[in-house]
Amino acid sequence: MQGVVKRYGNAVALDYVDLAIYEGEIVGLLGPNGAGKTTLIQTMTGMVPIERGTIKLFGQSNNPFTHANKEKLGLVTQEITVYDELTAKENLQFFAGVYGLKGSERKERVQEALAFVGLAEYADKVPTKFSGGMKRRLNIACALTHRPKLLIMDEPTVGIDPQSRNHILESVKKLQEQGTTILYTTHYMEEVQEIASRVVIMDQGQMIKGGTVDQLIQSIQHEERIHIDVADTSLLPVEQLQSIAGVMHVDVAGTRVTVISTAGSGNVDRILSLVKEYTGVLGIQTENPDLEDVFLTLTGKQLRDGGGEA
Amino acid sequence: MRILSTVQFTGLRMLRNYIVLLLLLVVPILLITVFSFILAGVETETGEKPLHGVVKIMVVSFQLFGGSIVMSYIQHEFFTAHRMRLNMIPIRKELYAFSIMMCGTVYSILLGVILMLYSQFALGIPWNWAWSIYVITLMAILSSIVCLIFALAVRSFKLAERLSEVYGVGFILLAGLFFPMPDNAFFDFMGSYGNPLMLAMLSIQAIEQSNAGEAWFTANILLGAVVLLFVLMLVLGRRRIG
Amino acid sequence: MTVFRFVFLRSFRNTTNLIFLTLFPLVCIFMPQGDPWPVLPYGYQLFGVFLLFVSIRLASYIQVDRMSGVVKRLSIAPLSHASYLSQHLLAYLLIIMLQCVILVYGGVLYGQPLIQPFLLLILYISYSLAALAIALAWITLFRNKELAFFGFMSFVFLVSVLGGIIVPVSMFPEWLARIAVLFPTYWLAEGQLWIVYGNELGDFLFVNVVLWLYALVFMIIGSTRKLR
Repeated sequence: MQGVVKRYGNAVALDYVDLAIYEGEIVGLLGPNGAGKTTLIQTMTGMVPIERGTIKLFGQSNNPFTHANKEKLGLVTQEITVYDELTAKENLQFFAGVYGLKGSERKERVQEALAFVGLAEYADKVPTKFSGGMKRRLNIACALTHRPKLLIMDEPTVGIDPQSRNHILESVKKLQEQGTTILYTTHYMEEVQEIASRVVIMDQGQMIKGGTVDQLIQSIQHEERIHIDVADTSLLPVEQLQSIAGVMHVDVAGTRVTVISTAGSGNVDRILSLVKEYTGVLGIQTENPDLEDVFLTLTGKQLRDGGGEA
Repeated sequence: MRILSTVQFTGLRMLRNYIVLLLLLVVPILLITVFSFILAGVETETGEKPLHGVVKIMVVSFQLFGGSIVMSYIQHEFFTAHRMRLNMIPIRKELYAFSIMMCGTVYSILLGVILMLYSQFALGIPWNWAWSIYVITLMAILSSIVCLIFALAVRSFKLAERLSEVYGVGFILLAGLFFPMPDNAFFDFMGSYGNPLMLAMLSIQAIEQSNAGEAWFTANILLGAVVLLFVLMLVLGRRRIG
Repeated sequence: MTVFRFVFLRSFRNTTNLIFLTLFPLVCIFMPQGDPWPVLPYGYQLFGVFLLFVSIRLASYIQVDRMSGVVKRLSIAPLSHASYLSQHLLAYLLIIMLQCVILVYGGVLYGQPLIQPFLLLILYISYSLAALAIALAWITLFRNKELAFFGFMSFVFLVSVLGGIIVPVSMFPEWLARIAVLFPTYWLAEGQLWIVYGNELGDFLFVNVVLWLYALVFMIIGSTRKLR
């Protein structure tokens, strides 16, 4: 997609967004709640019309949302969209059927998808008897029976136990090995770090930055990061800290203040002495940047800040 | 063909919806049975058994509520999170909506026929089968269309549900089944030719009295309402679903 | 009395609820008189059915609290189960009593032949207590709010017919009339008969005592599910 704009009334959901996904990769789309991730998915699958820009799907930009192209797409919705009255197997049979699969082929694909998500032994159980993690896995399986070329996963691990999350992440990696291209949206940094070939950071409807995890971390290596644990954060002179030469950002969370400075600015002593003037220093720590830091640097906020719908 | 593959599962989902079975099958069976106990042996001066009329009107009355099945399934598929997945599926949405409507309507008719079977074979209520099923079919289609119009015309599903209840209970009240309605032109009309429940009953009674002309006339009014409202439903459906 | 106050807030903030709670008693006032049955105008008969629906609708707030985990939170608050339940029930009873007052005294103003309006109000309040207790006991049987509501709806249809609200008990065969005594709706209909034709106050008292017994028994059943 190129230069895509989408507004809801006066609110800009997508602001001249460019995004390219190449065959065989896992693109991790990172953004806090309200960043525009779900709107992005809705526009790139033709669910909502765009106001500006172009969308090209499988090389087709003129009317890209044909049935032929839809057959190559799979969607794992953020909400669990399975039928409670149907068993796991019947749910998959339903979705396989609407993609035109019939007879023995449909049977095979259903078994395959159930085994893939580890639900083969629960094939004849209804989802109301499942745990949250099992429901999520069934939700994923529903998007797999037709073997999509591009699989879009909208926050597929929300609210599940670590065991199910690991299972899902392993499945995603396996799918990539089998040749499926995946767009994986989440606000869990560690998931993206584990599986994504490339990461795109989004905030307030804009694409902030893209690249591999290493490239993104490299891009902020010109920064220094100091974590100071203090006795009372309410006494901190945040504005004065921000005015120190070289300081780019000050973040306070709990009893910890994180100061991001330009590399080599030599202001550590000044920062420490200023903090000591106002409150006791309990500890100090420097840290190598990770994706969380990249996000903080680029957007000025923590990834799990805020609420509401993406 | 792809739409046809969904019909089996839509049917299964409906059959496994125990609330629908309870309200549209178990409750009427129990009520009919209780009435058969109460009215057993009661005869009018002309030798007619009031039980027959009571049971028939109850069987037809429950068709007024059959449309809520279609309404809830359409709402679930097209106006909840399922909509997102549905939009990605390579099928024609309007055909899928139509298939759900057909499934719900056939299911409602089937429940009506089971009630007829029960009343005939367990309680000895005689039916003119072919004509009664035709009338029940018209009632089921009309109820599905009316409920879909509610679901498509208002934003809140809860409001649509309330409206469907008003449709069902309203026409039962207007038919004077709970208490007599005031005696004026409006209520007279709404208690006869302006009321689908009464049209259906008049039609069934007319065929039993070998009055084919009246039977066709009343059934055709129902048919006319079905056609007119179907057009309205299509217009609304294109706006919301298509 | 925090729980009590917020039950009112929750009940009246929902517009549909508000319409449902106020409109029906008003409509009932204007319903016609039957001849020769029922003994009071139709609206006063159907109000008995309506009160059962209101009871389940109000009691469903407790069920929602149970399902949403609010009860768990309250179980560690300094609030006893008895206090939580009694504040809910008191609020519900007040809401229902208000409806009864609207119906009875609205009817008096409109000129409905209610014979002994004050005693009719007492009868409705006793019946409301029983209806609330039954609804409370009913919701303990279900985990799903919808299933509980629709199940109760089915129950109400049957109880209304079997208790003599829709069809007079005098039409029932003897064995069915004996069974009818088991339903609270029967006692409402009996109480209404007394209001129109009764002499001995003891008979009216007996009807009310039976309804209070219903309330007591079902309240005990309904309160067995603790705040957990």
